[in-house]
Amino acid sequence: MNAPTLELAVRASTVRLTDLRKRYRVGDDWAEALKGVSLAAAAGEMVALTGPSGSGKSTLLNLAGLIDTQDSGTREIGGKPVDGLDDAALTNLRREQVGFIFQGFNLVPVMNVADNVEYPLLLLGRPPAERRRKVAEILERTGLAGLAGRLPDALSGGQRQRVAIARALVKSPSLVIADEPTANLDSHTAQQIVDLLRELSHERGAAVVVATHDERMSAHCDRVLRLADGELLTGELQ
Amino acid sequence: MKWILFAWKNVMRNKRRSLTAMLITAMGTAAVLIGGGFALFTYESLEEMTARDSGHVVLAAQRGFDNDEDVPLQHGLSGAAALAAHYAAQPGVRAVAPRIQFSGLVSNGDKSAVFIGSGVDPDVDFRLRGPQLDFVAGEAPGPSEAVPEIVIGDELATLMKVKVGGSLTLLGTTTEGNLNAVDAVVRGIVKTGVPEIDRRLVMTDIRAVQRLLLTDKVGSLAIYLKDTAQTEAMAAQVKSTHPELAVRTWRDLAVFYQAVRALYNRIFGILGLIMVVIVAFAMSNTLGMAVVERTREIGTLRAIGTQPGEVVRNFVLEGAAIGTAGAVIGMLAAGATTLVLLFAGLEMPPPPGRSIGYPLLLSFSPPLYLGATLVVVALAAAAAWFVSRRAAHKPITEALSHV
Repeated sequence: MNAPTLELAVRASTVRLTDLRKRYRVGDDWAEALKGVSLAAAAGEMVALTGPSGSGKSTLLNLAGLIDTQDSGTREIGGKPVDGLDDAALTNLRREQVGFIFQGFNLVPVMNVADNVEYPLLLLGRPPAERRRKVAEILERTGLAGLAGRLPDALSGGQRQRVAIARALVKSPSLVIADEPTANLDSHTAQQIVDLLRELSHERGAAVVVATHDERMSAHCDRVLRLADGELLTGELQ
Repeated sequence: MKWILFAWKNVMRNKRRSLTAMLITAMGTAAVLIGGGFALFTYESLEEMTARDSGHVVLAAQRGFDNDEDVPLQHGLSGAAALAAHYAAQPGVRAVAPRIQFSGLVSNGDKSAVFIGSGVDPDVDFRLRGPQLDFVAGEAPGPSEAVPEIVIGDELATLMKVKVGGSLTLLGTTTEGNLNAVDAVVRGIVKTGVPEIDRRLVMTDIRAVQRLLLTDKVGSLAIYLKDTAQTEAMAAQVKSTHPELAVRTWRDLAVFYQAVRALYNRIFGILGLIMVVIVAFAMSNTLGMAVVERTREIGTLRAIGTQPGEVVRNFVLEGAAIGTAGAVIGMLAAGATTLVLLFAGLEMPPPPGRSIGYPLLLSFSPPLYLGATLVVVALAAAAAWFVSRRAAHKPITEALSHV
């Protein structure tokens, strides 16, 4: 039996995932993480993936972020199919078009705030003047302008997540993947992070796919998609 | 520049571990440089000693080096004076010394002993040999007089119970196969540092030897150059100018030098190999731990668009940074040791078969320092490449979930 498929993109899709299936070996058995899930997200749209642990949220995020490969189904980024691309091409695609925000922030501890945010631009080979300008601009927008020289260890959780958002958005990607970005934050800080992510993604025209258990987070998303046992249950336009 | 700075920050992430790797690298570098410096000093000393003894280029008549003569100077060199004058006038030539090697019996009237003699030009030879001949009594002989003056080894002097001013008789076989004898006065007693030589050495004016052997030939002509590096060029010149002569360089005649060099090359080659292994292990261990600890970070960097090759490059830069720092510390330590030994005046014990030690000094060789540094840095970078390439290609989802 095919799992329900939901196609809810209202504008030209930045990311389109069609009938994705993925299974993992668990001991001698196979566990189906995704059972034919489809998803599309448009530029500036923020889509929440909710569901219990083990429902397939992270697997779907990994596939959308091009850091894993499905067993079957297709993926498109910016209208172009990405399946069949080799690892180097996929890496270049992530470098140019995908930003990541992790639950544990995943900042590089030896780099200060400015260097962490500058890193994606460095990978893209942007000239120093442009890098400095873009970093200053995003740090200003994320309220980190006074913390540019600080190391991640000297920041609060909320500040670290702001750095992670700045790092994800500084290159103006077409897609942002966020995995439980508010899980480690208190409610007040979480609210600020949700607002910031929504504001910046809308401003920069990035589609955001965010996995979350946090209802305050999903309440601010354009759509909420519920996953259970690797199947998409429902979708809501908010 | 950003990448180098990033690498250095990562090196400093675990200071104690990186410092340990740097110190091991430094010790390895210093050991190679000190060992290599000692070997080079020994080679240079032996080169100088050998060249001072034999001359840089030695000419003889055809078969003059064959040692198969029936009578002395059967294959001797005629017209040596003209040849000597010709080569003495060549640019880069410091002096040309005629020589005759001969042997016979030396007697004090009561007892006799075998001697091995050298007929030399006293004005030239004793000046050129320099500190190689250590006069324990007396001085160098003058030009041949009616009663020739000789210099003998200290052990032969003890055996013959003779002091400076004493008289000895030399008996030898002439070029015609007859016995001949000449009385001589001891003018000096020397110590070469080789007991076997000091027990038999007799040196005197070559003209006295020619009178003893009844000949006007010489055994060989030794050409002394201002620059040892010109040896091969001069040998080639002699071969083309006088193809009828046999030519040897000091290197051909330096059996002891060649043996020591071969031995030291093996000893210090093995030492270098051991150091390479130690440095490689230290670097692999340090960077291997760093790679494991930073697996999640590697996953993050890969996710945001870093190519595996760029991840490996970052670790290679870290390895090179540790290697460079270690090599610099090692070079400073070796340089300081070289300077300290220069003023410390320490002596090595006499080598086997010798009775005199030699100064414990190290040669400072820029090519050796540069080569050792390059090897250490390359080794560190290779170790970093080796331990990081697997982590860089690990599936990103696996790396991100690494605990």
